[in-house]
Amino acid sequence: MADKQRSRVLVVDDERNVLLTYRMLLEQEGYDATASLTAKEAIRLLEKQQFDILLCDLSLEEKRTGFEVINAARERDADLPAVLLTGYASPEAAEYAKANDVAVLYKPIEIEEFLKTIATLLKENHA
Amino acid sequence: MTAGEGQSAVAMKKESLSPAPARSRAAGMEKVERRSSFARQPSLRLLLAERSEEVLPILLDEIVRMGYPRAFIASSNFESGQIAVSAEVNCPANYIKRFSTFLWSGDDPLVGVLHKGEPAVLPHAALNRRALYAHPLIFRNRTRCWEAERSRQSDCLAVLNDRSVRRMALQEQTCTACEMRGYAYVVGVDLPKTTTERQLNELRSIIELSNRYLSRLFKVEHYYNRMRDMDVVIAQMETVLASMADPVILTDPQHRVITQNKAAERFFSIPDNASEGAQRALELNNLLFSAALSSMAMSGTDSSRDLTLVDAKEGEEVLFEAVTAPTYSREGLRTGLVTVMRDVTDLRKADQEVRQNLEKLMQAEEIVRQDRDRMSLVIEAVGDPIIVADNAGKPVQFDSLAAQLFGKIGEDVRDQGRVRNLVKLSAYLTAFTFAFGQTEEGKLKLYHPPSDTHVEFNTRSGKILDARGQVSHTVTVLRDLSALRKVEELRVQARMLEMEKFAATGRLAGTIAHEVNNPMEAIKNSIHLLQNRVKPGAEPVYEILKSETDRVARIVRQMLGLYRSSSQVGGFDINRVVEDTLALFGRQLERAGVTTALDLGKIPPVVGSADQFRQILSNLVVNAKDAMAQLDAPNPIPNGESSVSDKKLRLYLRTRHLSGSATGRVVVTIADTGSGIPQNIRDSMFEPFVSSKGEKGTGLGLWIVRGITQSHGGKIRVRSQEGRGTVFQIYLPVVRS
Repeated sequence: MADKQRSRVLVVDDERNVLLTYRMLLEQEGYDATASLTAKEAIRLLEKQQFDILLCDLSLEEKRTGFEVINAARERDADLPAVLLTGYASPEAAEYAKANDVAVLYKPIEIEEFLKTIATLLKENHA
Repeated sequence: MTAGEGQSAVAMKKESLSPAPARSRAAGMEKVERRSSFARQPSLRLLLAERSEEVLPILLDEIVRMGYPRAFIASSNFESGQIAVSAEVNCPANYIKRFSTFLWSGDDPLVGVLHKGEPAVLPHAALNRRALYAHPLIFRNRTRCWEAERSRQSDCLAVLNDRSVRRMALQEQTCTACEMRGYAYVVGVDLPKTTTERQLNELRSIIELSNRYLSRLFKVEHYYNRMRDMDVVIAQMETVLASMADPVILTDPQHRVITQNKAAERFFSIPDNASEGAQRALELNNLLFSAALSSMAMSGTDSSRDLTLVDAKEGEEVLFEAVTAPTYSREGLRTGLVTVMRDVTDLRKADQEVRQNLEKLMQAEEIVRQDRDRMSLVIEAVGDPIIVADNAGKPVQFDSLAAQLFGKIGEDVRDQGRVRNLVKLSAYLTAFTFAFGQTEEGKLKLYHPPSDTHVEFNTRSGKILDARGQVSHTVTVLRDLSALRKVEELRVQARMLEMEKFAATGRLAGTIAHEVNNPMEAIKNSIHLLQNRVKPGAEPVYEILKSETDRVARIVRQMLGLYRSSSQVGGFDINRVVEDTLALFGRQLERAGVTTALDLGKIPPVVGSADQFRQILSNLVVNAKDAMAQLDAPNPIPNGESSVSDKKLRLYLRTRHLSGSATGRVVVTIADTGSGIPQNIRDSMFEPFVSSKGEKGTGLGLWIVRGITQSHGGKIRVRSQEGRGTVFQIYLPVVRS
C-alpha cells in the first residue's frame, strides 16, 4: 500500500462520470490519481507534474486521440508506462499501440484486469 | 337376222320341179292327193302345203291343170337385185332365160309388174308371141303382224304392201316391226288365145289365194326362225351368266329368284346334303338378300347395297356390293330385278388399310408438328442467337435474336453491319459444314445492332444427319460472352451488397454499443466502488445489480466486435485467417488443456471480408473451447472419479476446396470434443440471445456466424451429439475477383 500511495496516476477520459469512477477506483486502491477531461489539460498537467503511469481514453475532445497525450508524455519521460482505454480500436490503432509499447484495455473493462494491468506495469517500470 | 331367205320359196331349187314336169306333176299330185281328199278343189289343195316352199309348186301344178300350157315363177333377190325364174312347168330353158333381169330394169315389163304390184297381161311376151299373164306375189296381209300389234305400230310391212297407197319399194321389203324380210315373185302364165275373161279371173284368184297362204306360212316360219335365234341368244346369255365369277340373280317383282348363276348358287341355293350350319347360313344369306332387294326396290332406280354373306363352303364371310337394275318388258312394265354382286372383301380390306395408313400418317404428322412447335419454343426460349443452316451452309432459320444480328431469312440485308455479320457467318458455316467434326466450338466477333457495339460470341455448332448419314442441316448457337461476364459481375455485386448490408447492420449495432459503452463503464465502476459499502441485508440486491450489469457489458462487448469487423471487402486467404485466429487463441486453448489439429488444404482466394470471417472463426473457436471447458468442470460424481478426466479435449480445424460447380466452394470445418449442443436449443441456436452458456453467454455468437456466412453467400452445416462433440462446417462460394 505504501508503494501505491506514492504512485501517481494520470487518467484521461472525456466522459465525466467514467473519469470520476476511474479516479475513485484508483484512489480506493491507494494511488495518487489525477483526472483530466481533455487532452489539452492532460498535456498541461504532464508539463507541470511527474506521473508514474498514464491511463488514456483513445478518442478525446475535438478529434484528439489518446496517442497525442501519450506521445506528449513520452517526450518528457520515454519510459512512462501507458495504457490505452477504448471501446473500439481499429487494427491500425491496435498495431500502433503494440509497436509503441502501449497496453490496450477494451471497455467495458474488467476491473480486476484493469487494476492488475496497472500494478504489473508499475512494478515492471520500477524494477 | 331374218330366217326368211333360208326357207323361202325364192331359194327353192329349180331342179326339184323342172325335170320331167309331167311326171313330176303326176307324182306330186299323187302325194298330195293321198294326203287329203280336199285335193280335187285347187284352193283346198293349197291347204295341204305345210311349208312355204310347198305352196308355189302346188300353184304351178294347179295352173297347168287348169289347162294353161306352161307357167313359171321368177323370184327376185333383194340383195343382188337379180330376178330369175326359180320354178317352172313345161318351160324350155331358152324361154326361161328371157325372164332373167334386174329389179332396176324399169323398162322390163316383168319388173314393171313387180313394182306396180298389179297383175298385167303382157302381149307377145310369152312363147310363140303369145300373151303372158304376169302376177306379182308380194308379202302382204290385211292385218298387222303380232309385233306391230303389240307395239301398236301401224307400219307393218305386210299391211303396207296390202294397201296399194303406201307400198314400200321392193329394195326396202323389211318389216320395221318384226324385222321380217319380205319376198317378191312374179308368176308368169302363157295365155292361149282362147282364154276368156272368166278363166283369167279364176287364174288371178287362185294366185291371190296362194299368195295369202304363202304370206301366212312365211310369217309362221319367220317366227319359228326368230325363236330359234332367240334360243341361240339365250344359250349364249346363259353361258355368259354361268361363266361370270360374280353372283348374278334375276328376280321377279316379288323378289322370287327366276334364275341365278353358279356363283350365286354358292351363296343362295341350299343343297340337299347341306349340314345344319351351312343350311342356316344359306337361309340367312337368302333373308339378307331379300331384305337388301326390298330396300333397293324401294329406293327406285339403280342402286347398290353392301351385303355381308357367308360362303357356306369355305365358312368365310364375304363382303359384297350388290348392284341392281330393274328389267322392263317391251311395254315398259317392270318385270323384275337383275342383281350383280361384286366381292369387295379385298377391296374393302385394302380401303381399310389405306385409311389406317392415312390415319397413321396423320398421327405422325401431328407428332412432327408438335415436335416442331416445341422445338421452335425451345429455340425462342434459349435466349441466345440460333442459326439453322442447310447442307450448303446457307442459313434457313434464325431465331429472333439471330435475326437481330443477320436480318430476317429471305430479306434483302442492306446495312453494312449486318452484311459483314452475314459474310462472317457464311464463312464460319461453310467451314463447319464441310469439316469432319460433328460439333465445333469457336468465336465470332459480330456487330450487335441494338447496342451499336461489336460483341464477341462463343459459337457452338452441331450437325443434323439424314438417314444416309449425310449432313442435312447444321445448328449453331451463339453465346454472348460479355453477357455472361455481366451476369457474373452482377452476382459479385449482389454478394458485396449483401455483405455491405450486414456490415452496415453491424456498424449500427456497434455504434449503439459504443454509445452505451461509456455509461456502462461508469455504472460498472460505480457498482465496484459500492462493494462492501452496502447496508446489511441489501447484499442480494447488490449482487443482482452486479451480475446483470456484467451481462449487459458482455453483450455490449460482442456488439462492439461487429463494429470492429466492418472492414473492407476483397480477396483474402482463408488459411491465413485460420492460422491467425488459432494463434490468437493459442494460449487460452493451451491453458484449457485443448490440443489443436490443423489441416489446411489448397484454397483459392475467396472474396469477402477477412475481418468478418475472423469473427466467424473466433466465435466458433470460443464456443468450442467453452464446450470443452464445461466437460472439464469439476465432476459432481460422489466417489470423486471424473468421468471425463481421461477424455481428450481436441479442437480440429480443416479447410478444403470443393471443385464441384464452376468455381467450387471452400469448406471450413471446426470440430470439437466438447459437451455438444443441448437438444432444446438446436432449433433456435442461430437466433439472437439464445445461449447454452447461461450467464456467461451473450447468445449473439452463432447469430453473428450465421449472418456473416449468409452475407457471403455461404451455408452452415452442424452436427452435434451431446456429451461427444460438435462439428461446424462453413461453406463459402469461391468467387473470382
